[in-house]
Amino acid sequence: MRVSFIIGYGVPKFSILLRPHGSCYLCRPMCSSSTSALTTSQKPRTSLFLRPPTHSATLSDLQKWQNWAKNLASSVGSTFVDLDNGPDSTLLRRELKWLVEDVTEDGSISAEQQRNIRLRVSLEELYKLWKQRIEERRPFQYIVGCEHWRDLVLCVEEGVLIPRPETEKLVDLVADVVSDNQGLREGLWADMGTGTGAIAIGIGMILRSYGRIIATDLSPLAVGVATFNVQRHGLQDVIEIRQGSWFEPLKDVEGKLAGIVSNPPYIPSDHISGLQAEVGRHEPKMALDGGVNGMNDLLHLCKGAASMLKPGGFLAFETNGEKQCKHLVEYMETNAGGIFCDVNLVPDFAGVHRFVTAFHK
Amino acid sequence: MVLASGYDALEGKNNGFSSISSLPMVKGSLEYNGVRVPFSLCRCFGTATAVEPSTSDGLTVQGIIANDWTILNESENDWKSHAAAIAQSIHLIKKRLQWKKLVVRLDMLSAELNKPDLWNDPVHGGKVSREHGSLMGKMKGVLAFEQELLEHIDMIKLAREENDAELEWESVKALLNMRRISKEKELEALLAGEQDPCSCYIEVQAGAGGTESMDWAAMVMQMYKMWAQQRGYRITVVDEMPGEIAGIKRATIKVDGEYAFGYAKAEVGVHRLVRISPFDSNRRRHTSFAAVAVIPILGDGSSRVRINESDLRIERFRAGGPGGQHANTTESAVRIVHIPTGVTATCQNERSQHQNKASAMAVLQCRLDQLEMARQAQMNAQHTKSLTDITWGSQIRSYVLHPYRMVKDLRTNYEVSDPDSVLEGDLDGFIMSYLSASLDKDDNP
Ligand SMILES: C[S@@+](CC[C@H](N)C(=O)[O-])C[C@H]1O[C@@H](n2cnc3c(N)ncnc32)[C@H](O)[C@@H]1O
Repeated sequence: MRVSFIIGYGVPKFSILLRPHGSCYLCRPMCSSSTSALTTSQKPRTSLFLRPPTHSATLSDLQKWQNWAKNLASSVGSTFVDLDNGPDSTLLRRELKWLVEDVTEDGSISAEQQRNIRLRVSLEELYKLWKQRIEERRPFQYIVGCEHWRDLVLCVEEGVLIPRPETEKLVDLVADVVSDNQGLREGLWADMGTGTGAIAIGIGMILRSYGRIIATDLSPLAVGVATFNVQRHGLQDVIEIRQGSWFEPLKDVEGKLAGIVSNPPYIPSDHISGLQAEVGRHEPKMALDGGVNGMNDLLHLCKGAASMLKPGGFLAFETNGEKQCKHLVEYMETNAGGIFCDVNLVPDFAGVHRFVTAFHK
Repeated sequence: MVLASGYDALEGKNNGFSSISSLPMVKGSLEYNGVRVPFSLCRCFGTATAVEPSTSDGLTVQGIIANDWTILNESENDWKSHAAAIAQSIHLIKKRLQWKKLVVRLDMLSAELNKPDLWNDPVHGGKVSREHGSLMGKMKGVLAFEQELLEHIDMIKLAREENDAELEWESVKALLNMRRISKEKELEALLAGEQDPCSCYIEVQAGAGGTESMDWAAMVMQMYKMWAQQRGYRITVVDEMPGEIAGIKRATIKVDGEYAFGYAKAEVGVHRLVRISPFDSNRRRHTSFAAVAVIPILGDGSSRVRINESDLRIERFRAGGPGGQHANTTESAVRIVHIPTGVTATCQNERSQHQNKASAMAVLQCRLDQLEMARQAQMNAQHTKSLTDITWGSQIRSYVLHPYRMVKDLRTNYEVSDPDSVLEGDLDGFIMSYLSASLDKDDNP
């Protein structure tokens, strides 16, 4: 299957919505960034669970692999935890269970099955994958090619940030504000730096036929994966993907946005080298590095939001924690020319001040 | 007796075969099996609770039992033997259904149903009418069975008077059939509780004693998984807190299927294990404990506790560090605390935080429902029995692997000398004997 970037554009509703700007908006995302990447890209690697079960192995060979993998997981003990807050063996064993879930047809290996078990990858591949998990610390989500996030299963691959559980709450925050605000519910939203498309799809599930979302990213890989995920969830009428740097691909909707939501890169540059191996060695720096104090993109987005949002529009950002939250709140309350109101600091489920929300006056 | 004839006189019939639905409307109150039965029941809902069925010559089920006819083997085609066996079954079924309480409760519900303002509160109205319908169904079922028995007896007598061998043979055969069905009905009556048909959660928690008990808790959980599987129930692990070295600290599974709660509730309590410890290099004998709780999952029809979003505290177990983009983890366990009651629920086996939260919410809802049921049961003395069903309970069973091998239920003294089969899920003997023991007690009417 070829995934194109323009799936969202042919949809009448969207065109009507954006028609005032004529047809040039249609090509803007195409022109805004490296065009070659667009045309040659970007069929994402197929997640394991979506592959056909064309391989097979005997029950005993598979059990042998499973035991080997379990032992490997157990041998880790707490070394990764001590090293860089990585996974412990309990967690790795649970991941192993999920790997089995994704590569077998009925989700488990049990003695009642026939002697030959159909698999979505070969047995050799399974050995290779689990070695990568333990020895190279390759993130589990890249191994299986997906991440379960909210009630969604999102495809993900190297080059695209794996959505974090914390970020799920950004969608709840949007759900809360649209629940009693028709203007916001039926408006146009933007997810800036969409990665896999997680936030946009989460919000899309809530807005459904009411509102529309534009999801942007600078990374062609992310755009490819997000496009695929949007299609897989049947939201191509609701979410349009655009490629480009922050507000650049959104010039046609300036002052028209009902809401802006973003989880931009926010890790301070000098933290990058000390990150947990799964993150530092495998996830894209472009998705993580937020400059010297990690605030470059957050502040850029905050400034831009002032002119992008319509009056009464809503804003929600994820941050690195309390320090960045406070910094952002201070900026909004004192330096933003009184444009924002109801500035709020919201904790994640671990109790860390994680999100800042506000309304455009 | 007297009443039955009174009724016959009223209707001008004397065959004892009148169908249940054609009961007359009579005001007043009647005595039935020593229970005062208000006639409002008949007036409004046309049932036969008020009248004890009898044969044309006045024989009732109680009468059959009092006659003390010898009960022979099924293969002996003796109608009196069949009739006596069926009568005893009916007696047992009534006992299991807690007949007296059933009648009182129905009376109360009927009175409620007659209130003109009942449906002002549709939730309450629905609840009352649902329970009324369900109890009435149970009662009608038994009475119809009773009626059928007496009809066949009448037929046999008639056949004898008229020397109709074929008719007599047919009727004896019908009695034999009833005798067989009555055994099934006895079993059904064991699971007549309002929540019995529900799916449920089973929770196992390791007692004090570290790895020993955690290993035992894992064995107990495994026993329930296998039992549920053998019964054809669907199992999902909701929460599992592994022990550091072996076993589990606690675990919760969801058991989906008809009557899962009805059966599993018999397992509530503390389970004790005696064995030579596999973790003790000196091979000493150890005693370990695991506690089992069972929570019904009320159907959509039931009224459930309304949970206020603002009463909840949702927590995620945090690995430390700044989290967010810094961390890649597949750990997304969630704990929900219901602040007013302190009730908590945890889920960590789903692959996303959102799903863990949803599962934990479902568990929390059921816990709060259960708590509410307990509260109501306390207020409503006639349901006090269920109170013991909902706590973790006291020690109920002992599993001895050494120096001898035996599993013994301390409530019923039911015992099995093959612990392996029990630990592999062969629990029905224990469950049935407990259910019948708790319902067949003599102080039950
Ligand atoms: C922390 S990730 C968040 C991804 C996704 N929203 C999520 O929450 O899972 C930040 C995203 O911003 C994108 N990004 C980085 N710089 C950007 C820029 N200048 N313009 C647009 N997107 C950018 C990255 O490619 C990455 O996908």
